Amino acid sequence: MKPKKFKLANLYLLVVFFILYAPILYLVVYSFNSGGTMSNFEGFTLDWYKSLFTDTRLLVIVLNTIVIALLSATISTVLGVIGALAIYTARQRFTKTSLLSLNNVLIVSPDVIIGASFLILFTMLGIQLGFYSVLLAHIAFSVPIVVILVLPKLQEMSPTLIDASRDLGASTWDVLTKVILPYITPGIFAGFFTALTYSLDDFAVTFFVTGNGFTTLAVEVYSRARQGISLEINALSAILFLFTLILVLGYYVLAQRGAKAKEVRR
Amino acid sequence: MKKLVIMLTVPVLVSFGLLLWVYQINLAQGFGGDNTLVVYNWGDYIDEDLIGEFEEETGLKVIYQTFDSNEAMLTKIEQGGTAFDIAVPSDYAISKMIEEDLLLPIDYDKLENFDNIDPRFLDKSFDPGNTYSVPYFWGTVGIVYNPELVDGDITSWNDLWDMPLENDILLADGTREVMGFGLNSLGYSLNTTDKDELLEAEKKLETLWPNIKAIVGDEIKMLMANREAAAAVVWSGDASEIMYENEELTYVIPEEGTNLWFDNLVIPNTSKNVEGAHQFIDFMLDAEIAARNTDYVGYSTPNEAALEFLDEEVTSDERFYPSKDVTDELEVYENLGKRMNAYYNELYLRFKMQSK
Repeated sequence: MKPKKFKLANLYLLVVFFILYAPILYLVVYSFNSGGTMSNFEGFTLDWYKSLFTDTRLLVIVLNTIVIALLSATISTVLGVIGALAIYTARQRFTKTSLLSLNNVLIVSPDVIIGASFLILFTMLGIQLGFYSVLLAHIAFSVPIVVILVLPKLQEMSPTLIDASRDLGASTWDVLTKVILPYITPGIFAGFFTALTYSLDDFAVTFFVTGNGFTTLAVEVYSRARQGISLEINALSAILFLFTLILVLGYYVLAQRGAKAKEVRR
Repeated sequence: MKKLVIMLTVPVLVSFGLLLWVYQINLAQGFGGDNTLVVYNWGDYIDEDLIGEFEEETGLKVIYQTFDSNEAMLTKIEQGGTAFDIAVPSDYAISKMIEEDLLLPIDYDKLENFDNIDPRFLDKSFDPGNTYSVPYFWGTVGIVYNPELVDGDITSWNDLWDMPLENDILLADGTREVMGFGLNSLGYSLNTTDKDELLEAEKKLETLWPNIKAIVGDEIKMLMANREAAAAVVWSGDASEIMYENEELTYVIPEEGTNLWFDNLVIPNTSKNVEGAHQFIDFMLDAEIAARNTDYVGYSTPNEAALEFLDEEVTSDERFYPSKDVTDELEVYENLGKRMNAYYNELYLRFKMQSK
């Protein structure tokens, strides 16, 4: 009976993956359609991609999106690691749990509400909507994610490691840079890449805080779709999907190499 | 540790590289601190080639953004996060914006082409003396119908009741529009504040239900073009789009009178480039430019001088360019105040609830 069960599980997995990926596949296939609509496939063309790439406005938007993603992921990784360390080293149990709960509330609270409150905050403070407002908002919603990904690594670490290094005469800085940070590096990487993808495809929060001509890809795709569906959007989505795929693969490769390096050391 | 340092510095360096690239693209296109102009317009409501020409002519760079309802535009401008230099609200939204102090007065010394505007489209109740706004496009509310599906010609609002149109009429979903034609069909003003007249109009509208197929939004264009209904109450701008899709249809301004609407150019008080905003308005007022824009958008232009650059066939079309005698009879929506608006909405809701 065992082999059959195995097959059934495989089939189930296959169906699930098919359901998840079919819409994306469908969308990508039609981005090569020479007919103007999604209703029937008339022939292969690269026109939609060409018209995308000749659009300098769009190029600027893509670059902006990447810059925002990279910067917000980097800054929120730094802040998130500091936050996780703070929670980890908190002496009182009460402070620890309340800090962690506050962090988790930010993760589960709806994007729309976060976006709206940022809009109100920024306009109250007189901050012009644009690059900085988007960057700040992205950092804000990425930090809790980094914290939640780094914290388990810290908790996993044996406290005796720190005691041992202290006994061997390490300063606080040494303990941090030579013991703690190397140990939690995988968590930091996971946090960085998650923040990166969150920033790349966030629409709800970004929608509220863009302005003055500064916009990101997610918002642009949405407003283009509203004006009538063009296959250019398909092409754009295909590229976005490919980019995310590359990111995930990049993370996977880095994680693999990290694991191997560890094994060798052992 | 080394890995971490690399992970943190590489993205930052790459970002700065990309930012430099963006900066260079913007520089190559002429974007820079003070020479930009942020224009906020309805979707697909300008010939975009004209923006390029305006940029060439003035050296300004236009950041063009679009909205899809007066309410969305109002919210964005009220929030004040973006420095819009030009916006294009409709009549009632203009009076609201004036009331809330969101607009800057127009400096007519800077508008050389203002005389091109036909005086009959100026000095309306929503902006007396055109202190804050300059007409961009205008139109009416009327009936678009398919002569092949209707016996005879529709000429008046009352024809909607009297002709055999059972389950064949579509209405655009707007309180003022529907209540307005109810009032007009009885010979009352569509700005009336007399509750008896309003109640009478609502009662009369209820008797129209057997003829009404549906009350719909934007899909009205598609439904009419596809012959799903014989007649519909729509804005003239929509009507011209429907007729472009399906030439067998026609449009009529009902003889009892109807609403005359405007979309005007205004300068929000968030503007950082008031000089440029005036340049833009003046550019759009130029006869030839206005004519090309009208040709693209398909709505009626208030620019009298532009008419001679337009196709004779278009400008002589009484359905979309009615004579002064007709437009003088039409009414612009007046700001009725919060309470009266609420009453209109209440009656309209009651009418909608009577649906079969």
